[in-house]
Amino acid sequence: SSHVKAMGKDECKTMLDALNKVTACYRHLVIALGSTSDSQNLREELKRTRKKAQELAVANRTKLTSLLKDKSISKDDRAEYERLWVLFSSSMELLEVDMKRSLEIGQDFPLKVPTRHLIQTGMTGSTTTVAARAMSVQNMKYEADSNIDTADLRDLQCEISQVSQMMEEMEMKVQVAPWAVEAKQEAGAELKSNMSVGNSSVGVISICEEEPKEEDGGGNRDAGFASICAVLVFFVIVTVAVVLGYLVINMS
Amino acid sequence: MLNSFSVHKSPLWSGSASGLLPLQDDFKAQSHFKLEKLLLEMQDPKTGVKSQPQRLVITTIPHAITGEDIIAWLADRFQVDTQEARNFVSMLVALGYIYPLQDHRRLVIKPDASLYRFQTPYFWPTQQWPVEDTDYAIYLAKRNIRKRGILELHEQEHYNRLHKWMNHKWDFVVMQAKEQYRAAKERKKPDRVVFECQERAYWVVHRPPPGTVSAMDYGLDRLTDPNADEVTGLLCCSFKHYTPLTRSLCFLCSRRLVKYCSTYKSHDPFLSNCLPSNPWLTDDATYWSLNMPSVEIPTKMRVERWTFSFAELLSDPRGRDDFRLFLKKEFSGENLAFWEGCEDLKWGEAATMREKAEHIYKTFLARGAPRWINIDGKTMEVTVKGLKHPHRYVLDPAQTHIYMLMKKDSYGRYQKSPVFKDTVKKAICPEEHRYRHRRPSLSPIILRQMEQEQRAKMAANVDITQVMSKLSKQGKEAPPPFLFLNGILLLSIKPLS
Repeated sequence: SSHVKAMGKDECKTMLDALNKVTACYRHLVIALGSTSDSQNLREELKRTRKKAQELAVANRTKLTSLLKDKSISKDDRAEYERLWVLFSSSMELLEVDMKRSLEIGQDFPLKVPTRHLIQTGMTGSTTTVAARAMSVQNMKYEADSNIDTADLRDLQCEISQVSQMMEEMEMKVQVAPWAVEAKQEAGAELKSNMSVGNSSVGVISICEEEPKEEDGGGNRDAGFASICAVLVFFVIVTVAVVLGYLVINMS
Repeated sequence: MLNSFSVHKSPLWSGSASGLLPLQDDFKAQSHFKLEKLLLEMQDPKTGVKSQPQRLVITTIPHAITGEDIIAWLADRFQVDTQEARNFVSMLVALGYIYPLQDHRRLVIKPDASLYRFQTPYFWPTQQWPVEDTDYAIYLAKRNIRKRGILELHEQEHYNRLHKWMNHKWDFVVMQAKEQYRAAKERKKPDRVVFECQERAYWVVHRPPPGTVSAMDYGLDRLTDPNADEVTGLLCCSFKHYTPLTRSLCFLCSRRLVKYCSTYKSHDPFLSNCLPSNPWLTDDATYWSLNMPSVEIPTKMRVERWTFSFAELLSDPRGRDDFRLFLKKEFSGENLAFWEGCEDLKWGEAATMREKAEHIYKTFLARGAPRWINIDGKTMEVTVKGLKHPHRYVLDPAQTHIYMLMKKDSYGRYQKSPVFKDTVKKAICPEEHRYRHRRPSLSPIILRQMEQEQRAKMAANVDITQVMSKLSKQGKEAPPPFLFLNGILLLSIKPLS
């Protein structure tokens, strides 16, 4: 049964990771609402991401409540499940807030009204890759009706009340004190991940902090230029050396 | 900005143009709603603000607007001068609706070719969306990833603090930060840059770097929105949750409040003109001299106040004098004297309390006292018993009884009496002050200049006389014109310094 329990715990963690991922993607999509990135497709992406998030939420809740209800678990196990519970409820809080905000912005920015302009935020690209990441698919296929920007809002209202209700139930039924949970990660844990913090992000920093007064931004840009210059100089030296060598050989 | 003397009413703040409230007042949903409408107008491709692309090292990002363009557009839209428009746009920037692309830490509007961009609606400041520390922690963790652990000082401090008190959520913060970072990387480079700038601008507004003023500082949170409905309407909407008793009490309270306001409205020097003039505005102290506590002839407004309530009459010394006169004529002055004695006992020194209480007893309450007051047997019993161990409030029951007696009986008769009518007839109604004859106090700058001139004159005089005496002693006929010139120079230079 300990094997089963371990499996249960792993399953839980996987599902929580998935929920976390979908919540993050949903937030990114909601931020694009109302801007020049907004479109029919974005509304559909929001709808599908949201539904996926809710499915994951229900699954997580069922799993976690069943794990927590088990009285025979050890103290360590219980602490671990409580930690997972806090992760879950924090995700849900974020999701609820984002759903409410997407409702408000969605109501303020209908797509079909010509006098309601979208805000020119500078974002013009599509969010399809973010949605694909959330849905764990390669490419998104769009099949919604043209009135999704208004029709979906009704569903959204229902779903918000469902989520709020679920969270209330969770608080009532599961007696977990969130402040008693100890986090496993230390400060700065995000730096230790195996993330590809490669050249692309350095380039992004240098573009974002473009004012010359800022030391880090300027420094990074200079570092970029310096490295390019160094490489060029290296190649020039090598070429010169090769040419000289050739001449020396010819002369001798 | 809002000068009480200014006749010119800026259309930006009045109800005419758009009814926007000044920044100092409220942050209510109403003003934000109107701001949001204005922002939508700015987006119009034909009539909105001109936008241009922002060229960066590798990419080009559209929808950048210059400071001068937006100020010009606003000045044109509301038909105001450039300074007013500039003030308004600086408010937009301070609130976070528009953010600067260069010098992102300073939320000011520069009326030149500096670039700005509109903020996405998700990051607009709206009352209903509180700014969560969890979000800030996630943002700082993301920034930590991007900057490889080198945060700015205030950000590092916030990070440490949040890590400490939000420790139970820290796993979530780290997980979410990583996922959000990965999600953002899915987008194309220009959009990624814009997203980062947006988020950064949002947090500069809501977690300002130290030493900067935040536009988000506002006063207390109100439970109800004063702009929503009228006050009675507001009470009505929460009525369904109240019991009938609470409902009737609320209704009575509000009615009393309304009645009080309508009665005293014309007597409030803030809400209506006070005659002859408000001394704080005109530097004319006639109002105060006319309303001294023991003035011979009171003003009409003052006399009118005496008719509002008995308490009003008693609290005004002149009113009380008048009432005392009336009671003297009626041969029932002992009531008022007793009441005054009780007040003296209540508010007087503790050392003399015992004597006072005894004196009052002997004068008013004892059998066969010279100014015996008529109170009912029960109250008399309680009072006499209490006087055995007198304290400040021992005469309260008796005082209340006498007060109610005077209020119900004497007060009504006083208002119909010849004494009162005479007072009313004699009461003066001062003329309104004509601002033309206003004597403003001397400006301190002018006073100082005059002072300095005086000093210079005295110094110059001393100089010249000293010099003259010295010269006369030495017997030289020094060139006085030269010294005179010097003195004049001194006189002219000193006040200017």
